[in-house]
Amino acid sequence: MQFKSFDLVPHGTKIDFVGKRHIAVVLSLIANLAVIAWCFPAVHGLNLGVDFAGGTEMQVRFGKAVDPATIRNAVEALDFKDAAVQTYGPESDHSYLIRVGRIALMTEDQVKRVVDAVNGKFPVESWNWNKDIGDKIDFQFKGAPPATAAVQAAVEAASVRVREVREEAGLTAGTKSYAVITQGIQDKVERELSSRFADAKPVVERVEYVGPAVGRELQIQGFKAIVYAMLLIVVYVGLRFDFRFSPGVIIALIHDAIITLGFFAFSGREFNLTSIAVILTVIGYSVNDTVVVYDRIRENQGKYKGKSLADLVNLSINEVLGRTFLTSFATALSLVGLLAIGVGTIFDFAFAMLIGIISGTYSTWFIAAPMTIWLEERAVRRKAGAASAPVQPARVAK
Amino acid sequence: MERSWYWRVALIVAVALLSLYQLVPSWFYFRLPPAERNGDAYDKSVPRWAPNAAKHLNLGLDLQGGIHLAMGVDVDRAVKAKVARRADEIADFLKNKNVPFASVAPADGGMRVAVKTDQPAQVKDAVLEGYGQELYASDAPGGIAFAFREKVLGDFKTKAVEQAEKTIRNRVDKWGVSEPDIKRKANNQIQIQLPGFKDPEKAKELLGRTAQLEFKIADDENPVLDKLQGQFPPCPRNPDGTMKLPLPGSDAGGEPGCWTVEGIELPAGGTRQATVIVANNRAELEKAIQAKVAPLVDPAKNAIGIGEVTATGETGFKQTWYRTYLLRAKTELTGDYIADARAAVDQSGAGQGKPIVIFTMSPEGARLMEKLTTDNMHRRMATVLDDKVETAPYIQGRISSNGQITLGSGRNIQDMFSEANDIALVLKAGALPAPVTIFEERTVGATLGPELVRKGTVAALIGLAAVLLFMVLYYRASGFVADVALVLNGFLVLAIMSMIGSTLTLPGIAGFVLTLGMAVDANVLINERIREELRGGRTVKQAVQQGYDKVFWTIVDSHVTTLVAGVVLMQYGSGPVRGFAVTLIIGLIASLFTSIVVTRAIMEYFTRHETARLSV
Repeated sequence: MQFKSFDLVPHGTKIDFVGKRHIAVVLSLIANLAVIAWCFPAVHGLNLGVDFAGGTEMQVRFGKAVDPATIRNAVEALDFKDAAVQTYGPESDHSYLIRVGRIALMTEDQVKRVVDAVNGKFPVESWNWNKDIGDKIDFQFKGAPPATAAVQAAVEAASVRVREVREEAGLTAGTKSYAVITQGIQDKVERELSSRFADAKPVVERVEYVGPAVGRELQIQGFKAIVYAMLLIVVYVGLRFDFRFSPGVIIALIHDAIITLGFFAFSGREFNLTSIAVILTVIGYSVNDTVVVYDRIRENQGKYKGKSLADLVNLSINEVLGRTFLTSFATALSLVGLLAIGVGTIFDFAFAMLIGIISGTYSTWFIAAPMTIWLEERAVRRKAGAASAPVQPARVAK
Repeated sequence: MERSWYWRVALIVAVALLSLYQLVPSWFYFRLPPAERNGDAYDKSVPRWAPNAAKHLNLGLDLQGGIHLAMGVDVDRAVKAKVARRADEIADFLKNKNVPFASVAPADGGMRVAVKTDQPAQVKDAVLEGYGQELYASDAPGGIAFAFREKVLGDFKTKAVEQAEKTIRNRVDKWGVSEPDIKRKANNQIQIQLPGFKDPEKAKELLGRTAQLEFKIADDENPVLDKLQGQFPPCPRNPDGTMKLPLPGSDAGGEPGCWTVEGIELPAGGTRQATVIVANNRAELEKAIQAKVAPLVDPAKNAIGIGEVTATGETGFKQTWYRTYLLRAKTELTGDYIADARAAVDQSGAGQGKPIVIFTMSPEGARLMEKLTTDNMHRRMATVLDDKVETAPYIQGRISSNGQITLGSGRNIQDMFSEANDIALVLKAGALPAPVTIFEERTVGATLGPELVRKGTVAALIGLAAVLLFMVLYYRASGFVADVALVLNGFLVLAIMSMIGSTLTLPGIAGFVLTLGMAVDANVLINERIREELRGGRTVKQAVQQGYDKVFWTIVDSHVTTLVAGVVLMQYGSGPVRGFAVTLIIGLIASLFTSIVVTRAIMEYFTRHETARLSV
């Protein structure tokens, strides 16, 4: 009895993937370059979250609908020129994400003013302010240590709001040093919103604050993590199959990573630590289809001796067309719930993952496997070139 | 059926039962309302037969609300302070040796000690004789300069971070935050996670403060606390005389606190049994003090100190409890006057080879210490760090600029060394500020968490339903077999996560959903292969065998590549992202088992006859 099945992707297809590789490569190249160009700050830039850019991000929920533009105005009125406000989750939640690039309120000029004001009252031996840390100035005074309240009054005379003055052990034994902690961004923004939108009862639900130094480090680490993952995967595939397959794999991986990045670039969604997690997962997952095709190529190499590599690759892709599509389809299905009700970062995660899965399957069919042919042809050409060159007949010594 | 089939089925059943068993603590944990999960209510609700109750699925900070902080220790400032203090000491040292010099002061932005003198060679010899192990000399205009050796500097920076970590631990302990997570990280950073903690401003304020070290004299002759013997029950004892835990209080029921006695050597000679109140933890002891001890004490004269006791109990495990100290109210000396402290080995006669703590006072501190020790000879001096009595040794002799603390004997050397290190760290905390600043802060309000958990669970269920439905519609019976394996896979992932007590974060939920999708990939590959073999005219039994055999390595390869990405991510990420990586890794390993072993065993059963039919 003939076995019959219902196939979503018909079997026995004869699509010429290898033949279409030139078009595919050109299309992919354009798409990739577009993403890379778009990511440059001069062109458009990625919307870096606080994880990478450093800064303060607050998620605020209001009791009723508030126009994001008025929130933005309120925050900008506090002297944050770069404030960004966006709606978070469904409209009915009245949740907003407020992001300011600065982590500290004080500017260098203000710090100078404070130091001058304090020095006028108590002779300052040394002071220290670090712009990566922000709202904190350390003082050490000459002579008898003043009362903390007096120090606070001196700072506030320079019209800087003080949260606390701490007495700490000084640099030399027996001396005192003072840490003046000025009002922070969160405090200031929260106060302003509470007074301006008193009837909407704003509640700060989440605050993320990342210093610029940490942000830079996370950027570098994230990039490294992606590169390491790619290298390890390429080496693994090379060991399990053949290092001839490696260039195809690595090009497909870079392709998928960039296309996934494209989602964040073109949609303007926040690029943060979770985004790095998505790209890494896409890298790990998109090889799966490639592995299926390579396995089949290897199996067919034994079966059809004498067939050209191009035919072999075409045949192999067509034979496993159904399953490379269906595995991606099944994984994409699992994301349905996250796409339907996920908000914020989780929605972005699911959507970027979906793009990555689609890109992974596409790159398997049109990039990874056909790329092997291209390399093979080049090798053959070089060998042929070497063969046609005049060869000095070898002398055989008697 | 083959013999191996029975073994495989036995393995599957065992794994399934074991994973259900491992999920018991998590089941009881999540049955409780969020506010009660991290307390006694949970410990009481877990049945006795359950596995280790401490290991259950945790909710990450992003799901249960709380604070994540990364605090950087300002080691540069700590180094500057150390240099400045060393400069003071060197000046004193040279004066005592009658070496001519004009001035000693920190130089080069506080990184070196510069000595102005017209006798640089003589100064160099003298200083290197005294501090040669730590310092090296270099030329400087108008004299000579000294800087710390690289190794000393590195060691010192590590100590500064350790010291900050200890201070933070002490404070978090004091608030009674349940399950805090404090880790030292690279780059002189300390990561603190406080689940359920609601007040970020308070946390930042308390953690940012440098430690306060005070010396107080113990008021051991004062019998005022002896009256408490009537107000508290005596402490329960084991037959061998060791403390029997838990003490009265919340764990064992009843009012917190009980009394015991401590043998005291009196300064005038003779001994006395002083009453001490003991409780399971700091919060309980504070409650007992508030209720019954404080009313007896005149706050102008006395203060009650709280200390932690660690001892080896009857079971051989270390156990801790908290005790009171009756102290004089006055702070005799603060930590600012200490120049340095370190653990060392006693070189002198009696206690030779025993670990001790050596500390150095600043010149002014030496004068104060000398008076203090002369006036209070043979009394105990309590070292109080951030309101916790760390140690209370007897004053054995007059101390001025250099002092040493000997430790009680009768324990193994290892324990004594770690105690000596600990005390040195405490003294240093007073001596050298290692200020901490916040580098990273993430606060999630308590209201946000439950909503995210609910949404995440619904999203996961929708995703799971979609995948289950697709498999059974498309592959019929074979799809149903894959579905059974998939559900088992879900349980297995949760069970492994519970077993290692890992944390479920919001991205972790996404990772869980995603691994379910990836887990069926293997079954898609297998079923497609079976279809292909059937199309090629094989019997059902052969097709199933071939299907599994031929795609085995494909499945392994595809799992490994994703695992590689997961492991790299785990190294990179922290917090929620790490939670995602952990879930992904566990999910992939579980999926290898369920998709290959479990589905195969079921499929083989249904296709055991040559004439078997299969819808695939």
